[in-house]
Amino acid sequence: MAGRERIVEVATSNALWGAVTGLVAGSLVGALMQFQGMFGDIGSVAPSWAVFLGSATAIGGAIGVITDHRPHELAAAVSGGALVGLLGWLVIALTLNPLLHGTPPTWTVAAAATVYRTLIGAVLHGALTGAALHGLWSVRRPRCGSGAAPVAPLTRVVIVGGGFAGVSAAQRFERLVLRGVTIDVTVISDSNFLLFTPMLAEVASSALEPAHISAPVRSAVTHTRFRHGAVDDIDTTGRAVVMSGERVPYDHLVIAVGSVPSFFDLPGVEENSFTMKDLADATRLRDHVIELLERCDQLTDPHERERLLTFVVAGGGFAGAETVAELFDLVHGVLHLYPGITADEPRFVLVHSRDRILPELSPQLGAYALERLRARGIGFRLGIRVAEASRDAVRLSDGARISTATFVWTAGTRPSAFVARIAGEHTRNGALVTDATFRVTGLDRVWAVGDCARVPDLDQGGAPFPPTAQHALRQGRAVADNIAAIIAGRPPVAFRFRTIGVLVALGHRTAAAEIRGHRFSGLAAWLLWRGIYLAKLPGTEKRVRVLLDWLLDLVFPRDVVVTTKSRAVASPAPEPGANGGHR
Amino acid sequence: MTVTAASFRSSAIGRGAAAGAVAGIVGGLVFGAAMAAGGTLPTVASILRTDAPWVGFTLHMVFAVLIGAGFGLLVAHQRVRAGETVIWGLVYGMFWWFLGPLTLLPLLAGRPVAWDLVDARAVLPSLFGHLLYGGVTAVVFVMVRRDRLRMRPRPATGFRGALAGVAVSAVLYLGLDVMAGAALGWLFLVGTIAGLGYPLLFGAARERSGPALIRGTAYGFLCWIAAALTVAPLLRTGTLDWSTGAVTAAVAQLPPYILLGAGTALVFGALGGLRGWLFGDDVRARRVESPGGRGLRATGYGALAGVVGGLVFTVVMVLVNELPTVAGLVGARSPVVGLIVHLVIAQLIGVSYAVLFRRRSFDLASGIGWGVSYGFLWWVLGDLTLLPVLTGAPPQWSAAGIAAGFPSLVGHLGYGAVLGAVYYRLEARTNPWWFRRSTAEAERVAAQHDQTLGSAPALWALIVMLALTIPVLVSP
Repeated sequence: MAGRERIVEVATSNALWGAVTGLVAGSLVGALMQFQGMFGDIGSVAPSWAVFLGSATAIGGAIGVITDHRPHELAAAVSGGALVGLLGWLVIALTLNPLLHGTPPTWTVAAAATVYRTLIGAVLHGALTGAALHGLWSVRRPRCGSGAAPVAPLTRVVIVGGGFAGVSAAQRFERLVLRGVTIDVTVISDSNFLLFTPMLAEVASSALEPAHISAPVRSAVTHTRFRHGAVDDIDTTGRAVVMSGERVPYDHLVIAVGSVPSFFDLPGVEENSFTMKDLADATRLRDHVIELLERCDQLTDPHERERLLTFVVAGGGFAGAETVAELFDLVHGVLHLYPGITADEPRFVLVHSRDRILPELSPQLGAYALERLRARGIGFRLGIRVAEASRDAVRLSDGARISTATFVWTAGTRPSAFVARIAGEHTRNGALVTDATFRVTGLDRVWAVGDCARVPDLDQGGAPFPPTAQHALRQGRAVADNIAAIIAGRPPVAFRFRTIGVLVALGHRTAAAEIRGHRFSGLAAWLLWRGIYLAKLPGTEKRVRVLLDWLLDLVFPRDVVVTTKSRAVASPAPEPGANGGHR
Repeated sequence: MTVTAASFRSSAIGRGAAAGAVAGIVGGLVFGAAMAAGGTLPTVASILRTDAPWVGFTLHMVFAVLIGAGFGLLVAHQRVRAGETVIWGLVYGMFWWFLGPLTLLPLLAGRPVAWDLVDARAVLPSLFGHLLYGGVTAVVFVMVRRDRLRMRPRPATGFRGALAGVAVSAVLYLGLDVMAGAALGWLFLVGTIAGLGYPLLFGAARERSGPALIRGTAYGFLCWIAAALTVAPLLRTGTLDWSTGAVTAAVAQLPPYILLGAGTALVFGALGGLRGWLFGDDVRARRVESPGGRGLRATGYGALAGVVGGLVFTVVMVLVNELPTVAGLVGARSPVVGLIVHLVIAQLIGVSYAVLFRRRSFDLASGIGWGVSYGFLWWVLGDLTLLPVLTGAPPQWSAAGIAAGFPSLVGHLGYGAVLGAVYYRLEARTNPWWFRRSTAEAERVAAQHDQTLGSAPALWALIVMLALTIPVLVSP
């Protein structure tokens, strides 16, 4: 049964039983009042009886609805009944009764005195009803009350992944549980926090503290079971998730594991590049850059200096553009601490396979971003791919070789390898193919949302939704609603969503934004970027902390404390994979 | 249910009834003594168509034992701390005042029931006798049943209580100039004793301020009966005087005593919290949730619930033409200004409700219960005290003033009921804190539930009964 309907049904049943009990108790108290000749002063006998029994029934119904049955607490039931009876007297005898007789209520002591006898009747009636209802419920439901746990077994929902899609689905489920959906939700994730990826580049540039852009999953979904760990396998026939040899059974499974970098099997790229997917990546990149500056401050070999001070970013999407802009800000923001390095020495290169960067933006804004970044001295190699990477250089598809110690790869993502092992239909890059309601094609009771799913956009002729946070958030909510619909025996609803807008930060006080067709650039877009993403951060605490970071950034210089040791710089020739590029 | 469990339950109930009967004897003796002093024993004897005092006393003791056993039955399964049983006793006693002298006694004596205000006023002394009986029965019940959790307050706790009592008395004296004619020494004496008595009765358990505030309100009522209505006349004239006239005269001191009780509870808790915060080095003792977490949202809900409650209250305000008085707070006379000021106040009180009572409503009934009780406290603090003082008049602490404020009391109770109900709904919608995912969490919630609600229904009922007994206390 659907949750809301069940709650309404329980409340209606409680109200009915309460009304019947109230009527019976009201008849007893009314008989006493009749016997005492008390109905005279409210009017003639017949309507007074009707009014009295009507109000007794209404008060009984209210007692039935608002008091929760707790076994063994007769005293609470009696006093709760008396309380409602007294409040009912205020409403009925002191307010509605004068209104019925055509006079405005005054609530004065004198007015109360005229109907005071009914007050004592109300106390007795309320207490009697409370006690009788308690007895009735003790007989009918010896163990559970209206608010107790449902008897039917809970539908088990397991969400794999603690990113935007997974956490928003879990949050939605918490709301649905309140509406009476009988589910038991477990979130399984290999990281115990929800990372706010749009601000990752600012962590890499030392503008934000790493912990400030992430919120623990446990505090984001306080009433959901959380299991920290990697999923080994999914048994879609036996309906269980396997982790550390243990089987976690499910009735509905939501896959929301997100994506990992894809290196397209290019030689040396995975081993010799930095990525920008999680907090560790961002901190590692930042520490690496600062260590390079420390080293160059004392280095005399001009070739080695040039190599160490060349920063190459592959990929001209959001992540690439923001990373190169933030790296630029970081290096030039702290350069005054390194007198041995001149401002014209650091060199930044962005390699992009297409003709224009930021293809998600309109051509005008893409051109604007390119022009702004170029004006700062960032070099662009457009229409060219990275062909190969080694410990000390990057080779491009046109044969050029760039000597560098810092190569950041943002040029491709794919769903994690684990997704490929799940049965069901996959796209070429491994994403799970779903229908518009998120059901994975070819699998029963398995749903996929976020970056690891290919969800068709019915308004765009079935083209997939782009892998962004705004889509993942809404898909998470929608999949929770759809699962609740299935449980309630209703058909799931196809997901429809029109992208609200896109925002990209281009470093110091500059950004580009496109919201519902309106284009913004420069300082206005930058303020918009900060305002919108600040509001979107998970939790007030993180918002306040990030805001403080930003405010402190106005008056204090960036920090150059290195918290991890990067062996890439400790020895001129880094060991393969030591710089964290691999996954 | 197994046979063993059933027999255990019935034996527990039996023990409760027996203990209640024993406690009823003591309570009956105390009440009987008061009745003998007041010369009302023949009234009881009139059931048997006689007016011999000893018949009345015997009959009274039989009732006392039976009603005491009933008390034992009712609270046998109530998991409450020792001192809080007193609240149950008080509400039980008050309930029996409605049922006994107002209803059953006249019926048994062949007279019409005494439900009219005039009749109720005639048996007003009996109300205090019943309250005394309920309180004493509850205390003895706790002492007889040693299986209940008892807390022995340490000297430091007593000192903290006394400090709280004196501090609140000082504020009442200095801030409001006078405590309804009470002498300075008497005021501080009462403050000290009330402060010492609070931890003695309710222990020093840490809890949220809201429930403590409401308990303090009830405690203030108790203090009023004990000090202003009983001890003071006894010291002055040597006789127990619970007569209607004496009560109407003493009712002027009811608001300050209520404020004293509520304030003592609040300051006592705050001092305890401060001590824990400054000197408590064991974080395990700190169960208090950081206010930054979901506190902001709760504050917003409080403001919203306050506005909704305030709109309900506005109906009363308009009908009794109170808005210009409220506008006087900002030096204006316009009803529109009054409405705005009123809604702002309603919102602020709503926010304070959220701060004090967050996560203390377990169902709609408890939401309404806390809200109504809080509304009553604000009637005493706001309408009877702050509103006149801030508009340049003395507090409305007199029988006439309280009677004049009765419409506003109805408004405050309605406001509180709506505030509590709306806040509970809002909190339940987004913050299902009772929704448990693990056994440990469920146990913690159950413990909190028991601690908070052990005596709460009695508190709410007592406060609403007190509120609606006010016409009896003050009508001329």
